Amino acid sequence: MVDASIVTLVVVLVVTLTLALAVRPKGASTLDFYLAGQRVGVVTNACAICGDYFSAASFLGVAAAVYASGLDGVWYATGFAAGFVPVLLFVAAPLRRFGEFSIPDFLGRRFDSATVRLTAVAVVQLVIVSYLVPQAVASGITWELLVGHGIAGLPPYATGVLMSTTVITLLVVLGGMRGTTWTQAVQFLLLLAVLVWLAAAVLGSGFNYWTAVDDLAAQPLANPSQADGRWQLANEPNRLDEGAPSYFGEPGARYGSLGQFALIITLVLGTAGLPHVMNRYFTSPTGNAARMTTVWVLGLAGLFYALAVMLGTAARSLIPEAVAGRPWLGALTVDGVLRVPENALLVLGQVYGGQPGLGLIATGALIAVMSTIAGLLLASAASWGHDVYEGHLNPRATQRQAIWAGRLAVMGVALLSGVLALGLRPESMTALLPSIVASMVTWAFALAGSALTPVLILAIWWRGTTAAGATAGMTTGAIVAVGMFSTGLITADQGLAEIFLTPTLISGPMAVLATIAVSSRTRPPAELERLWLRLHGTAADRQTERLARLTITGVSDRPKEAP
Amino acid sequence: MSSGSLPLAGALAVAWGAVYLVTQVVTEPALGVGTTVLAGVGLTLLLTLAYPSALRGPRSTRSGQRPPGRRGVASRSRHTIAAVGRPMPLRSGLTAEAAMRTARLLRPLLGCDAVAITDREGVLAFVGPGSDHHNVGDPPQPRTSARVLAGAGTLVVRSRRTLGCAAPGCPLRTAVVAPLAIGKRIIGTLTVYRVDDNPPSRDVVEGMAGILSLHLELAELDRERKLAVDAKLGALRAQINPHFLFNTLNTIASKARTDPEEARQLLLRLSDFFRYAVRQDGHFAEFGQEYFFVRTYLSLEQARYGDRLRVRYDVDPRVLTAHVPVLAIQPLVENAVKHGLANKVEGGTVTLKARVDPLTRTTSIRVSDDGVGMPPDLLKKITSEAVSTPEGIGLRNVSERLDTLFGERYHFDIRSKEGEGTSVDLRIPLG
Amino acid sequence: MRWRAARRSRSIRDGVIPAGYDSLDEYDTAAEVDAAFRTLRRGALGYFAVFLVAVGGVPGLTLTLNWWSEGQLIGGMSPSFVMAAFGFYIFFWLLGLAAASLSTAVEARMLGGQETDPAEREGGA
Repeated sequence: MVDASIVTLVVVLVVTLTLALAVRPKGASTLDFYLAGQRVGVVTNACAICGDYFSAASFLGVAAAVYASGLDGVWYATGFAAGFVPVLLFVAAPLRRFGEFSIPDFLGRRFDSATVRLTAVAVVQLVIVSYLVPQAVASGITWELLVGHGIAGLPPYATGVLMSTTVITLLVVLGGMRGTTWTQAVQFLLLLAVLVWLAAAVLGSGFNYWTAVDDLAAQPLANPSQADGRWQLANEPNRLDEGAPSYFGEPGARYGSLGQFALIITLVLGTAGLPHVMNRYFTSPTGNAARMTTVWVLGLAGLFYALAVMLGTAARSLIPEAVAGRPWLGALTVDGVLRVPENALLVLGQVYGGQPGLGLIATGALIAVMSTIAGLLLASAASWGHDVYEGHLNPRATQRQAIWAGRLAVMGVALLSGVLALGLRPESMTALLPSIVASMVTWAFALAGSALTPVLILAIWWRGTTAAGATAGMTTGAIVAVGMFSTGLITADQGLAEIFLTPTLISGPMAVLATIAVSSRTRPPAELERLWLRLHGTAADRQTERLARLTITGVSDRPKEAP
Repeated sequence: MSSGSLPLAGALAVAWGAVYLVTQVVTEPALGVGTTVLAGVGLTLLLTLAYPSALRGPRSTRSGQRPPGRRGVASRSRHTIAAVGRPMPLRSGLTAEAAMRTARLLRPLLGCDAVAITDREGVLAFVGPGSDHHNVGDPPQPRTSARVLAGAGTLVVRSRRTLGCAAPGCPLRTAVVAPLAIGKRIIGTLTVYRVDDNPPSRDVVEGMAGILSLHLELAELDRERKLAVDAKLGALRAQINPHFLFNTLNTIASKARTDPEEARQLLLRLSDFFRYAVRQDGHFAEFGQEYFFVRTYLSLEQARYGDRLRVRYDVDPRVLTAHVPVLAIQPLVENAVKHGLANKVEGGTVTLKARVDPLTRTTSIRVSDDGVGMPPDLLKKITSEAVSTPEGIGLRNVSERLDTLFGERYHFDIRSKEGEGTSVDLRIPLG
Repeated sequence: MRWRAARRSRSIRDGVIPAGYDSLDEYDTAAEVDAAFRTLRRGALGYFAVFLVAVGGVPGLTLTLNWWSEGQLIGGMSPSFVMAAFGFYIFFWLLGLAAASLSTAVEARMLGGQETDPAEREGGA
């Protein structure tokens, strides 16, 4: 077990490092470092976005949620996939057409205001950190579970956190966006391949998805819990129907009547405000390409999550039979149910692929974590290096200086998240693991969806939005979201806590109201027409397309071309 | 457009209420949810699909393009032919192919042995015994068809000799030859043969020839009307206002010094404008293309009028692919600029609003301005077709073309108030 | 101004443009962009309404309709499970594809010139 994991880990690291260094841009400009020169193909970019987006929460987390809660766990997958619909409808093309470096840069130029830019930088950094920390925690835990011992005298958990953070920081610092676009795309394809392999193995062994759901409904859903120091199975109470048990294929195992709406809205609105995902849109050649990229992302995400949901169901249905004759599995389960739902895919991997299978799934998990961390660090670098350093601290910075500012910022943010992850190390990690990783990721979504998405959409689609309004909206959204989340953590239980922990349902509309209320009392920026031409006009796109077409025909028709 | 959607919404609400009553209240025990939803959805589909035809009356096949004045004739002849149960081929004119199909159609109908149709030059079609030597393209028989063509009226031929067939084995013995005429002009003959000695009934053949003549006349009218519409379209193309061209060229010339880049853009737009106007040869174009024409025109006018001319487009995405009469919107917009805003010192806004109502299958287009407007008497003069005022030429051309293209199935309406502006409403079937 | 200058310098930089292609400079007028913008917004809001109804409708139906979460559709799956496990992803993809092609078609028709092939432009010029 140990050997297989270490071998696969080393292989993956070597492959990604090689890739990143091989395609390292020559003579990097700021544009190349952050945005890969704005010329990345639609499919490549879609894969890279998926690589950024699918974190450990998607890869292990969705299957785990389905495994633990049945239908209510599927809402995570639905919400993650649905998040790209608002992106496609409202954000992708105009954001690309406006064509800046990052979300703060976009908002800053749209409103011609340094206040807006700095507020946005603050929110973006909050979102990035609250997304980074759970990834680092997850990589530490994966290391602890799989390798089990530390390097150079460090405890295994700390080793995992530091290893992943250091390696990826190096990648980002050396490669920039061009490097990471390709590595992200390759990493996503590897991730998808791992999932497809596992699905094929499970289906090939005679697993029937259709009837499995029905069979699982035969008895109430039960999960292990620790009572008086002993593990035992306890029925999940039904949160929709007081006193009744809950079943795998029916709602109620996890959310009350409001909870599922709150979660879905939080995830749906969050995606459009995730800086590491939205920055990828600036690398599309045109606005239409950005749109088509999102269509591809929707397709790939649908495939990915449909497979993850199926595998979660398969794990619930197959593991009880697999326990017999597998002592290692017996140690992980209580009466055929896994103690840590996050192990579901890993266990399936070992059941169907032996040691290499386990190694493969572990690789997938690490890839998911690494690619997301890389995207987040890069977004953070763009925001510090470009928005703060170039925009405010040293407006006359040379490209070299700006890139170095970005690199320093990457190291700083990575160090911060590493330290936070070490500090947050759960005492009894197995009991708290799902809640920490999943809820911190959800919290990043909630923050993005409350503070950034409403302002972003209003800035693009409502002429009346003003700088003061945008600042008010972002501040209100962030404060309400953080406030509700803290309240939810303190009161921490059923009922309203569901909404407090996924606050976008309330904080999002409040941000919209604040933006509108303040905007209608202030004056929109001058030269709105010119901004609008740039945001919604297609002249620059058409010119790009025509030039591209000319280049193609120019190359193929050269012999015929007379001067 | 909500005028079309509201009644449907009401009908749907009533239908769902009825479904609920029947399945949940009246029936005992109540039906399952699946059945109820299925019934409701089925009823909804039925209502939605049937709704447009209920609004328009029964769907007619392309007959909508006939002008109102001739509708009576058309429907009467359709009624006669309805007895035959097939469409009448000669409706498209006297051609060899149509004549052949008509002859095949008539032979069983008239209970005769052979049918021939000629025009003034020769035989167009011959069906029945004897077709081996009565060839298409033969000149008219001198003693029968040629005489009828010369104006001799219907001839009844009772002997084989008079038939004038030189072929020895020809089985045809008697015939009736009737003229086909458009008005007083004889353009062909219909000959009905028999192989026995009883000639076909003169009345029946004459009647049939009369019907065919009517169809030929209609075909001729169709052709003439098409020519007339073509001529109007040509007139419109040629009518591009010379003042507009001069003004634009002047604008470009003056910009050439101050902003050469903009001048170049304007020249390109002007060439786009003329290219579009000249290249249109059909009667319909996609709204998207007409929209391109309109905004090209308006951007040129905006260069001339500057801030005094503001433009607002309000376009439903679905209208972009709808077909509209070609070059019909720009004259309306040009009127709004020329007569509504040009004389207003502070300028104003031209608004083009286009909508589609998929339920009633209507495209509605409104061009309005907040310019000087028109006094009521001038408005009356423009809308009455008898008087031609300079303001009315574009409008009249458009409305005449709409008349020929849509008959009564369009709606064209001008409203104006002095000092408040003018708005032109156009509603046409969605195509 | 920055933007215009950038555009201008691009066409100068790429400078060597064959004869007949001198209309490379594309531009939009404010009124046209405003029209396209409002048409796009109308379309996007329509699609978003459909999206919200679907995303809210599935959990909504679980609260109101027993058949939705207990009925058996394929094998043993309830309609709600089928929707969450496959239906949604297909729906999102189709919705996205429809919205993207509508927006692209609207922009192609409402902004910029007609698609004339270069040969014709050349001949006409």
